[in-house]
Amino acid sequence: MGFAASFAAVIFAVTLVGGSGLVVVAASARDELNGVMGLLVLSAVVSGFVSVFVVAGTLSLHVLRQRRTWGLLRSVGMTPRQVSRLIMAEALVVAVLASVAGCLLAVPYAALMAAFMRMTGLAPAGVPVEATTGPFVLALVVGVAVTLLAARVATRKAVGVGPLEVLRDSAAQRRLLPWPRAVVGVAALAGGGELLFLVPQQVKASVVAPMALGATMALCVGASALGPVVLRGMGWLLGAVVAWLDPGAGMLARSSLVTQPRRAMAAASPVMLTVALACTFLFAVATTDVAAGVIRTGPSAWVAPMLVGSTVVYTVISVLNSTAMTMGERAEEIRLLRTVGTKPRQLTRMVCWEMLIVTCTGTLLGTGIAAASLTALGRATTGEPWFAYSLPQYAGLVLVCVVSGLAGGLVATRRARRGSLLLDG
Amino acid sequence: MGMGFSATGRFRRIRATSFLLDWPCLYPGWVITCAMVRTVPISEAPHTPVNSRVRVRGVQRASGTNRGDAGWAMTGAFRTLLIMSDHAVLLEGVTRTYGKGATEVAALRQVSVGFSRGSFTAVMGPSGSGKSTLLQCASGLDRPDSGAVRVAGRDITGLGEKDLAVLRRDQVGVVFQAFNLVPSLTAWQNVILPSRLARRRSDPARVRELLHRVGLAGREGHRPAQLSGGQQQRVAIARALLGRPEVLFADEPTGALDSRTGHEVLALLREAVDEFGQTVVMVTHDSEAAAQADSVLFLTDGRIVDVLDRPSADQIGMRLGGRR
Repeated sequence: MGFAASFAAVIFAVTLVGGSGLVVVAASARDELNGVMGLLVLSAVVSGFVSVFVVAGTLSLHVLRQRRTWGLLRSVGMTPRQVSRLIMAEALVVAVLASVAGCLLAVPYAALMAAFMRMTGLAPAGVPVEATTGPFVLALVVGVAVTLLAARVATRKAVGVGPLEVLRDSAAQRRLLPWPRAVVGVAALAGGGELLFLVPQQVKASVVAPMALGATMALCVGASALGPVVLRGMGWLLGAVVAWLDPGAGMLARSSLVTQPRRAMAAASPVMLTVALACTFLFAVATTDVAAGVIRTGPSAWVAPMLVGSTVVYTVISVLNSTAMTMGERAEEIRLLRTVGTKPRQLTRMVCWEMLIVTCTGTLLGTGIAAASLTALGRATTGEPWFAYSLPQYAGLVLVCVVSGLAGGLVATRRARRGSLLLDG
Repeated sequence: MGMGFSATGRFRRIRATSFLLDWPCLYPGWVITCAMVRTVPISEAPHTPVNSRVRVRGVQRASGTNRGDAGWAMTGAFRTLLIMSDHAVLLEGVTRTYGKGATEVAALRQVSVGFSRGSFTAVMGPSGSGKSTLLQCASGLDRPDSGAVRVAGRDITGLGEKDLAVLRRDQVGVVFQAFNLVPSLTAWQNVILPSRLARRRSDPARVRELLHRVGLAGREGHRPAQLSGGQQQRVAIARALLGRPEVLFADEPTGALDSRTGHEVLALLREAVDEFGQTVVMVTHDSEAAAQADSVLFLTDGRIVDVLDRPSADQIGMRLGGRR
């Protein structure tokens, strides 16, 4: 399950990066497309960033999820080096196979993008997509390098502790925010803040949108590093409300969020990323259009949603993936809850409450980040702390995230909730 | 034995082991005792001489004591009433088969047994004899293929998932060998979990007293990861006792513990029987543990093959050794 998820994550990442690369290369050959190049490059950068983020997150979740296995292997005499070689070998197989598959899919994906661009009027003459080496090399490097790097970091975390410590469920004693994570988080937040400060001072209009997007990305990195703290707070607060509404199921959801905010953050991160990046991209385009007096109607109104659409699809898949992985881990706990008499409906509600709080936290973080970047962008383009937004688009985005979070959680726990109570029966 | 509970408390706890086939075989006083048990809240009458018995149908008895010492001609309705009031759990012709076709294994074959209120029964047998299956079927964790399981007189084999959950929450307590507690909840929260799920307020004084009794005073706020295996086991027992269930099932409760901690856990189960009048059924492979029980059932190949009343560890050991 974790293996399939990592595989899917890498395939999609390579397809996205390779496909966007192909479109950008093809468009750069056409002079009449110079006007939309900025937009194309921006969307390619967004998909690249998301790919790196999601692949790294999925891989580390996959490796850390198997801590017990690694601990068991070590307790029967495998050295840490052998264990990490085993993990890396698996990651290499995933990386290479998925990257190759992703490269193959990149060509039809680029053709699809080109067709969309022609339909929406972004490139009325069409974009002649050709299979050039550059984008493929880039996509392969991103796919393989990011996968291996993420596996390497996760391996060090998984193997660094003693085998017994791993076998004993030491989850409760783990530090909420280890030093490296805190440092990275604070540095990224500071960088993002600095960019936000610089955006309104820009004179050249073409730099503003990329800088605002850069600020969003930096803030996303920071927020996802420091996220467990926020999630624990939100779990505590919203959990109290939920526990008041629904004493049994609510208390269970709340305590799991408060004690395991890092696990929950793995699911909240992609939601935050989706909301922050998609909102920044969509509403930055809208704001610049308004500032420039451009009014898009008909098919051309779909340019920005289309460009960011595949990225959103990808992050939504990763929301599904990570909620399924984090909730799938809880099968044993759910069986235990059933043996002490938790009704099926209560279990369903427990999962729903938990996923709701997680996706809401992700949405809030993402909205906050996007709002900060967009305000800075608005100041740069119009001089006012204002930006254009579309409520239906925002609501749709949030709804998709929440629904996929709930679906992922419910599907992953279905067997534990409804299947046989006995493990070997 | 003799740890923390009075010898008198155990005295004549088992009055008789008799067969349902030999019915009626009750002495008149028993009916009165039974009525007393039903009207007096168990915790307020800790030393009520609860009369307990294990009945096994179709089994050769190990030790012959006073059986059939009273002859009562009963009507069917009266008999039903007695079945309902006497047994915390009653299994009637329970069969459970795993797998299909060539790999089919019968874990339980036509097992009929009743566990009386306030009795402490150990279930023993070689691995694969069906002792865990017996416990799972009796506690509503598994469904038998045929036969009936009555908890407090109600057949639970036809219940849906929701009703089974309510049954496990309110009428049955289960303590497993390991992983009994929800990792994210504190000891206190784990104990009150079933009442919380039932939207009942639990009396904090009673929870505190129970945790104190199981030796966990001052550890209410600890999470399972911060507790030892024995402590976790005792929290699970406290959770099971808080709801005053009809019956408490324990599946190898000492299996993962060292002998001293194991003894403490057993003493706790014994106390629950002696002082709260709790019914306890414990699956074990340890004859020392089984010697704490009022009676011991022996299973082989899914059948009850023997019953010993208040045996010593040596007797149990001989019984087990004799078959191997």
